[in-house]
Amino acid sequence: MITIPYLTALSTYFSYGLLFAFGQFRDFFRKIFDWWHASNLQGYAPICLGLEDFYTRRLYLRIQDCFGRPISSAPDAWFHVVERYSNDNNKTLKRTDKINRCLNLGSYNYLGFAASDEYCTPRVIDSLNKFSASTCSTRVDGGTTIVHKELEERVANFVGKPAAIVFGMGYVTNSAVLPVLIGKGGLIISDSLNHNSIVNGARGSGATVRVFQHNTPSHLEKVLREQIAEGQPRTHRPWKKIIVVVEGIYSMEGEICKLPEIVAICKKYKAYVYLDEAHSIGAVGKTGRGVCELLGVDTTDVDIMMGTFTKSFGSCGGYIAGSKELIQYLKFTCPAHLYATAISPPAAQQIISSIKVILGEDGSSRGAQKLARIRENSNFFRSELQKMGFEVLGDNDSPVMPIMLYNPAKIPAFSRECLKQNVAVVTVAFPATPLLLARARICISASHTKEDLIKALEVISQVGDLVGIKYFPAEPKKQQQEGKRTIKLE
Amino acid sequence: MYVRAVPPTDLNKNTEWFTYPGVWTTYILIVFFSWLIVLSLFGSSPGTAWTVVHLSHFFVTYLFFHWKKGTPFADDQGIYNGLTWWEQIDNGKQLTRNRKFLTVVPVVLYLIASHTTDYQNPMLFFNTLAVFVLVVAKFPNMHKVRIFGINADH
Repeated sequence: MITIPYLTALSTYFSYGLLFAFGQFRDFFRKIFDWWHASNLQGYAPICLGLEDFYTRRLYLRIQDCFGRPISSAPDAWFHVVERYSNDNNKTLKRTDKINRCLNLGSYNYLGFAASDEYCTPRVIDSLNKFSASTCSTRVDGGTTIVHKELEERVANFVGKPAAIVFGMGYVTNSAVLPVLIGKGGLIISDSLNHNSIVNGARGSGATVRVFQHNTPSHLEKVLREQIAEGQPRTHRPWKKIIVVVEGIYSMEGEICKLPEIVAICKKYKAYVYLDEAHSIGAVGKTGRGVCELLGVDTTDVDIMMGTFTKSFGSCGGYIAGSKELIQYLKFTCPAHLYATAISPPAAQQIISSIKVILGEDGSSRGAQKLARIRENSNFFRSELQKMGFEVLGDNDSPVMPIMLYNPAKIPAFSRECLKQNVAVVTVAFPATPLLLARARICISASHTKEDLIKALEVISQVGDLVGIKYFPAEPKKQQQEGKRTIKLE
Repeated sequence: MYVRAVPPTDLNKNTEWFTYPGVWTTYILIVFFSWLIVLSLFGSSPGTAWTVVHLSHFFVTYLFFHWKKGTPFADDQGIYNGLTWWEQIDNGKQLTRNRKFLTVVPVVLYLIASHTTDYQNPMLFFNTLAVFVLVVAKFPNMHKVRIFGINADH
């Protein structure tokens, strides 16, 4: 539930209206200019229809220097950001050779495996020497090495399911598996804020897609009842299959899914549950096993568990975990398994080693320390930001915290001012978020020390005052209250 | 002071911004302030200013609601490319609160414009024509109708 001050909502609409109007004027004059100067491409159809790239040309390109900043080191807690400059008002950006050492608040480095690790990196280099960087083949042809077999067993064990299958890319896992699991005549009910990969996979499957209000189990029940009663469109026959797709932690809100209620509803109406744990696997839960462990849901109740290795394990790729029959079926039919290159062996070894560290099988307690540290860091950071008066979304224990900005002008202001003070943040605007609700998303990592967090808090507080995003009243500091009390006693 | 924003279930990013709180107020405030600006720039009588606002409101809303088709970004792969903004809003459902509000606004503007010009003739004709076109374009029966093939797809 996001609370917006009413005047901010009005001014945000007005700002977007103004930007839109200016963009339309410039397009109008550009059209006249182009008609005047004939082009040498007579007879060719244009690549984009006039309206399609309006947002990219007229709004995104104006603040292009806040997105896509190149870095030149590993994305650890501190990293090197390459400086860029522009001679034509941000239409093109040129790289320089200078770098800035900045605090990293944007990488999905939840457990700190993104940089070189004392247990994982030697083993990854060994595996690189032994198996080389790529299998140069699909899984079915010659790309299944012993590393892949071990990885699939370990992932299944870690997540708590009988079997698992691993793919080379996380986005592809969703968009290539959903079309295989369900087709025309089936129904997919997905949360309204699901990731683009799920939306793509659902559209590609050919099934009917319905959306329920974000994280509202009562609305899910209403949609399920309505759809089961109506049946397929036009023929009104019963649905062949119903899959409900939810995410563990929503990456733009930092909210944790209400999994127990949703699983109860799906059991009642006999729908399958597909849980996308991209941001929650390895980051939440007592031993890092994700939202099921955190919320106390039995893993046999969730039919298909999906996740990615990019966030907590410092590698790349995605997995699907489920029953043995499901995984066997996927190995025969999923195009990402049959035709796409297998996951690279050093990357797979990184995942195996990081799972061993998390579970403590490497002989040290670093895994448990990392999990405790990320929990403490997230809770500390979130509560401090809320005390300063920022509007921060997300539940407790979630390492993702978006700070609401709202106005389109505050997005580049916040981003650039923070970069000047050597703090790198990621700002997200329309169309990844709704129009009104632009935000700066902070991802806390276990490799952030307390000093790093305090420096970040100072910088964000200063920039927040300058830009004007402290929408809630700040809580008065405790020391001032104690000072007043001692004066009164005297 | 504060309002709550519930994320809607509309997947079309081009129209879902219209379901958040504050849009109606912003629309009315923009119309009112443009009347003040016209009044101060041209120094005309209030009636002429309202007529100018009404007619420019007609041009702008007809262009953006009923003429331009598609969405300003390529993410949705062109599934709305044949639909104008009016046909996309609320997922094509007719007679919702947003649609009723947007139908009432031109009529109210027409009443104000014709009242303040005392129903005199050249302005009255243009105002009536404008409101007639706008209200007919918003009828539920005109959903996806292209008269004489004007503005139809290629």
